[in-house]
Order: sequence, then structure tokens, then C-alpha cells
Amino acid sequence: MASLSIKPVFNFFRFFWLTGPLFDKELRISSRRRLNYYLRFAYVILLIIFVGAAWLSVEHLRGSIVYQKSRLAEIGQSIVMTIVLFQFFAAQIIAVILLSNSISDEIYHRTLGVLMTTPINSLQIVIGKLFSKLLQILILLAISLPILAIVRVFGGVSWDYIISSFFITLTAAVFAGSISLAFSIKNIHAYVVIIKSVFILGVIYIIMPIIIAAFFGYQLINIFIYGSHVVNSPLLTALLHFNPVGIMSINTFIMLSPSGATTFYFWPVHCIIMLIASALILAFSVKVVRRVALRQILGELDLFSKVRLSLSKDKRNKLNEYIGSIRDVTGPPVFWKEARKPLIQGIDRTNNKIGLAATIITLLITYYVCYINKGLDEGYVHLLYVGMFVVIGIIFNIVLSVSCITSEKESFAWPILLTTSLDDWHIMLGKALGVFYKCLPVWLLLESHLIAFIIIGYIHPIAFLQISIVVTGVIVFLTGFGIYISSLCKKTTWAIIISFVSILFMWLFVPIILGIATSFAGNKGFYRTFFGLYYSLNPIVQIGVVMEAVGGIENSNLSLSDLRYNWINLYNFENIGKVFPTTKLLMSIMFFYSSFGAFFAWLAKRRFRKNII
Amino acid sequence: MIETKHLTKVFGNLTAVDDLNLFIKQGDIFGFIGPNGAGKTTTMRILVTLMEPTRGHAIIDGLDVSRNGQKVRRVIGYMPDFMGVYDDLKVFEYLEFFAAAFSIERSKRKSIVEGVLELTDLQSKKAATVDSLSRGMQQRLGLARVLIHDPKVLILDEPASGLDPRARIEIRELLRELKRMGKTIMISSHILSELEEICDHVGIIEHGQLVYSGTIEEIRPRLGIHTKVRVQVADNQEKAIELLSALPQIHQVQTNKNYISISFKEGENIDGLIARTLVNANLDVIAIQPEQIKLDDAFLQLTKGIVH
Repeated sequence: MASLSIKPVFNFFRFFWLTGPLFDKELRISSRRRLNYYLRFAYVILLIIFVGAAWLSVEHLRGSIVYQKSRLAEIGQSIVMTIVLFQFFAAQIIAVILLSNSISDEIYHRTLGVLMTTPINSLQIVIGKLFSKLLQILILLAISLPILAIVRVFGGVSWDYIISSFFITLTAAVFAGSISLAFSIKNIHAYVVIIKSVFILGVIYIIMPIIIAAFFGYQLINIFIYGSHVVNSPLLTALLHFNPVGIMSINTFIMLSPSGATTFYFWPVHCIIMLIASALILAFSVKVVRRVALRQILGELDLFSKVRLSLSKDKRNKLNEYIGSIRDVTGPPVFWKEARKPLIQGIDRTNNKIGLAATIITLLITYYVCYINKGLDEGYVHLLYVGMFVVIGIIFNIVLSVSCITSEKESFAWPILLTTSLDDWHIMLGKALGVFYKCLPVWLLLESHLIAFIIIGYIHPIAFLQISIVVTGVIVFLTGFGIYISSLCKKTTWAIIISFVSILFMWLFVPIILGIATSFAGNKGFYRTFFGLYYSLNPIVQIGVVMEAVGGIENSNLSLSDLRYNWINLYNFENIGKVFPTTKLLMSIMFFYSSFGAFFAWLAKRRFRKNII
Repeated sequence: MIETKHLTKVFGNLTAVDDLNLFIKQGDIFGFIGPNGAGKTTTMRILVTLMEPTRGHAIIDGLDVSRNGQKVRRVIGYMPDFMGVYDDLKVFEYLEFFAAAFSIERSKRKSIVEGVLELTDLQSKKAATVDSLSRGMQQRLGLARVLIHDPKVLILDEPASGLDPRARIEIRELLRELKRMGKTIMISSHILSELEEICDHVGIIEHGQLVYSGTIEEIRPRLGIHTKVRVQVADNQEKAIELLSALPQIHQVQTNKNYISISFKEGENIDGLIARTLVNANLDVIAIQPEQIKLDDAFLQLTKGIVH
């Protein structure tokens, strides 16, 4: 009798009513995927490297025991901050990637309609998918909790910071995951979902603070680096409760600040805001999923037909004209197929136009903000712009190149392409050119920024050549590497995860380890030069060195011989700080990357006919 | 036209194709039959250059597939068991893309595409997106794609799977038409009755080994399968059964509602013996008809259905 009365309560707290059997199914599948365990292993390794680097970066360690003990609180703060920020960004990236094919997979395999013929409702489908992936993220976050608890013993970090950071991170991951899930309903390809989600998150995390900063007359950098400005402005602090990056910055600033919390800061409010925003997105997803599923049951495969019918007659005719038109295959067929699809797809390219207009308007706003704050005079502002374009370009390049073969494998079209008379190099070249063509808008934004500010006189003209050299090497390398990873994997999601982890490992974690090793070796001799050279391979470092030397009004008017480049640890290279040796070094790195890109392309070609489905 | 010599493919501990020797004549329709996991798809993937054999050779139109992949691909048309679609290409664009992939001149592509659309009865769908087509239409599109470069050899992996009876009949008619056009066709299927109607030769494979290759008619004597006849008598069926069961040449007698089914060893002239026996016993014989051996029966007899 007692068990009968407890059972409904037990069932309620199992959340079965909310997640349905889909949650169990997803957990079973994920427990069988070896890649999930690799992901956790990679996460732990990266975390350890970060923590190690944070520990050793605190120079105060050197000295007497008494002195070292007295600085333990500072070390504790540094380590906790590193872990928290690492988790904050990693959790959101993983959420976006893991949920990028959550619904589209069901649509593509035609199981969504089948699910709707069972007692499972659309809410359970959406929540089941979301929770099952979030559980993976929760496990990753939980991995670091013991480290945080131990490090807290050093002092200097309150429980409040650890708990608040955990919930800020979790709600940010829920929000990012919800966006990705919503996009996956109407986009078959995971890479399109990832790009769209990153774009939306970029707008919310970066553009919104810029506009707020413009309104308050602050420079962007003041918000994220010198949080004190924000804390001193109660209204600005209140507004940043809508922004996870902003709230995390304030939270960290308060932890580091001896004065403690501000009156206008209350992290649970931010978490509630994020959960409400996620709930709205999920409610929309529930509605759309049901509609899509019902159409699939009815055999109406064209998911956009209702949207078309809702358009005015005139627009509908135009749309039909566009949709009905058959375009001729011109040029190399693989390139034609790759290039015919726009970067961001929409039913009538409206999304493209909206996206392009939004990007241009946002950029203009940021330029205006920088102009009124005299930021354009400063080299670091141009470094931020160029760095941002390069990072976006790198992300696009990785995602597009990595998905170019896996998306064909997922749609079972790959073996068909391989049995045509196209030779493998032709397919490879078509794919590579297709990736370049799709990324071109981002690289054009970069070059346009450079050209415009060179003409106006804010950047030295040599920047165009030097940045182009850096970007060329990066494009060739990432395209070759991405296509190779794509030829290895069957699923786009995992191919993207593997690529990002590899790139982060190569450009971020290896330099950190080398830095630590060099520090142990007394920062001299071979180790220092080797570290300096490896460090210089990072394109963001190259961009930093170049833009620091050539950006801003002061540098733009210097003669070539007066330009000075500040390479780190390359003291053995004669005159490396001057323009010609630097350009030669950049050219050498470009050839190095291009060679590796070509090597990976060759490896990819050899893998074309293996692991085909 | 298609030949394999000691073809072997090993995946780790698993031998998917084991010393397979096949020969398919030009213009034949060859049915490739086997239980799931028998090695049919692996054999086909080797033939279409998607896989390298571990040992042995596969030859198509005199070309070794391992050494002349590029040339072989011009000769063959391959339709895999899963229809690969490019989601937002239209039917015409899809076919034109593959025409371009086979280096067909741009000026000729349109007429060729129109031609295969007509052959597969897909003209009305040429502006539809590929993923909006029904399964049957997609299979037809798959066949249209396979024909785009006018290959000599068609290798079709389960082309009729998942289709309704009407679509299956349409595909069968299309294959007959292709045979008339002189194509050599290798087709795998689980719907054995269909292969029976269109194939000149069949090959039955299990555990990667060819357990039978030849015509359907040859299966019976080659494998010692008993031949069956149906005997109908006007009345006293019990007496007829008693008499026939006593004959040493007869292997088995089965009774049905209206007839008696008798199986015996191939080569015996049994019809006269049955007639004499029954007439001598004053029984009225209505009919003595041979019973056709079904491919399904041969398949069941030859294979154990054990999956790797």
C-alpha cells in the first residue's frame, strides 16, 4: 500500500513525464559510444594542462617557504578562475556541437514521424534530447568540482564564487544547447546549425555589450577586462544580467576584488533570465517539432511548404520562380555542387540578406563606438578586429572543411560520388575550393577592414601583405587538415569535436606545456628558442605581433625600416624585429603550413575509399 | 564481362568474401543471392572500386578493378543499397551533376538527362527536389543516374528493397528493357521470386563463399533436389497414396486437399510409372503435372541463414 502511494512521487522526480523514454534511449546510445569517453578524457587532460599552467604562471612561487605560503590564496584564485572560465566556454561549445544534429537526425532517418505515433509527445522529444546531452556536460562539469573544492582550501575563493560560477555555466550551456536544438529542427547539416548558433551567441555575447557600452560611453575592453567600470555603474551592471559573459566577468571581478559584491549584482537573477530565455526557445521548438513530425507522417516532405503558402502571392511567385529554376552545372562538378549552396541557407535567401545586413550594421556600430572613444587611433583595437575576423574565419574553415565529406557519408551519397569517373584529386580539389568559396565572405571582411583603414591612415600598408601571408597558410592548412578528419569520421558532430580539440591542442595547449618546460629549464638556450618558434606558429600570435607593430595612427605613418615587431623568445634570429626578416619568417611559416595542408590532403585522398559509410 | 578469381576480403578476424569465383557473360542478368551478411555487398563494393580485395582479382570488361579503377568506373553503373541523395538538388540538376562527373560534354548533357528521365518515366518530376521524392521515385532516379553515362555493366544492390508491388513491377520492367539494350546486369535482392523472373543466371553466396552458380533450371539436378509432380485423381485418393508410396523410385508423398504431391530423384521417368500404376488399379487420373522448383526452396536448401 505504502509502495503504491510512493510510486507516483518517485515517478514524478524521475522526470519521466518530462523527458519520456527518449532520454533513456539517448543515454544508452551515448554509453556505448567510445568517443564520449575520449571526449571526457580529452576534457580532463585539457583541464589539467590549464590548471598546471595557471599554477606555474604565478611567479610569486619563487622565494622563501613563508613567502610562498603567504601567496597560496593568490594561486588558489588563479587556478579556480582558470577552471571556471575554461568550463564556461567549453560547456557552451560542447552543448552547441552535441545538440547540432539532435532533431535533424530523427528527421533525416524518418524516425520523428514514427515517434509521434507513439504516446511520446513533442515536449518529451525536445526535453529528452536536451537533457540527455546536458547530462554529458554535467558530467564534465562535475569532474572539476573536486579540484575546485581542494583548491578552495588555499583560501581566497569563496564557496559563493564556485557555486555561482557553476550555475552561470550550466544555464549558459542550457541556453546555447537550446539554440542549437532549435536550429537543428530545420537544418539537416550539423555544420549549418553550429555556424548559425555561434552567430547568434556571438551577437548576444559580443554585440549586445558593445551596444550597451556605446550607450554608456565605455570601450568594450573595459567591460570584460576591467570589470571595475561595470561594477561602478549600477545600471550597466543590471543590464549585463542578460549576458552570461558579462555576468561571469563581474562575478570573477568581485571574487578578485577585496571590496566584495556590489548592490546591483545578483547571479540567481541572471540564471533565471537564462532559463526563461531557454524555456521560450524550447517552447518554440516543441511547437515546430510537432508540426514537422506531423508533416513527415503525412508524407509531406517539403517542410517549408506552409511558410511558402503564408507568403503574399507576389512573393510566392518570386519564390516559386527561384525554387523552380534549374541551374546548369558549370565548371568542375564537385565545386559547382559545393558552391551553389550559400553559407547560411534560407528558403529564399532572406536569411542571407538579413544576416549580411545585421553583420554590416553591427560592424558599423562597433566602428562608430570605437570612433567616438578614439579607439581607432589605437593599435590594439585593430588587433581586436583583425583577430576577431581571423578567429571567425578559422572556425568557419574548420567546420566547413570537416563536414564536407561526413555530410555526404551521412546522406549516403559518398559511395555514389566515388563510383563516378572523377578522380580522387578532382574530388579533393572541388571540396577544398568549395570550402574556400564558402569562407570567402569572412576573409573578405578581414581584407576590407585592412584596406579601408590603410586608406584612411590607421594601419600601415605592409599589414595587408603580412596578414594575407598568415591567412593563406592558415586556410591551406585547415582545409587539408579538415578534409582529412572528415575522411576519417562518419559523423559530422564528432569530426568537428576532434578537429577543434586537435587545433586547440596544437595552438594552445602545446605552447602552454612548452612554456612550462621552458620555465623549468631556466628560460634559456635551445628550449627558449624552440618555445619561441613553436609559439610563433600560432596564427593569432602572428596576427598579434604584426598588428601591434603596424596598427594605429602612430605606426601607420612609420617608414618600413622604423617598424618594430616584438617576437617572443626569438632572440637568436638576427634582426627578427625588422620588417623584412619578419616577412620572411611569416612566409616560411606559410610554406610550413601549406606543406602540412597538402600532406593532410594527400592523406585524406588515401582515405577516400575507406570507411565509406 | 564480369569475372572474379579467388576474390577474398578479410576484415580483422572476419572473412567477408572467401575465395569467390564468378563469371557473368555479356548481356546477362545475374542474380546475386545470399542471406544478410553473406558478403554480397562487399563483393559488389570491390567490383565498383570502393574497396580493395585482400586477395584475388576482380575483372570487369577485361579490366582489373584494382589496377584500372578510373577506367572501370566509366564502364560500370553502381546503385548502392541506400539511395544517396543531395538534399536540395533538383532531379534534373542531380542527373546533370552526375553527367558532368562522368565528363559528358556540356552540350550533350541536357539531351542525355532528358533521355534517361524519359526512360525512367520521371519527366514530370525534373524540377522537384530529390529529397521530396517518394521511395519508389528515388529508386527510379537512382536507376536514371546509373544510366547517365551509358555504362556496359550495371551493378545494383537491392534495387527493389522497400518498394511497393507496383514500384517493384516497374523496376522489373525497366531491368528487362535494359537487358534488351544489351546491358550486363548484376543484381542482388532478397525478393527471390523477382530474380527468378528476370535473371538468366543466379549465384548463391553464404559465409562469403559461392555455394551455387548457374541457371535456375540447373539448380535441381546439380544439387540433387527432388523433382515434384502433382497428381490428381477423380476419387479414392487414399488408395492412390498407398499405391504410390509403395513405389521404390518415389522419395516422398504428400497429400493436399485436391492433389497429391510426389517428390522423386531427378532423372527418373516417373510420369509413365505413376500413370500405369494408377490406371492398373482402376483409378481415374485427372492430371499429372510437374511442379516448378522455386528459387526460394533452392535458397533455403543451400543456405543455413547464419549471419557472420
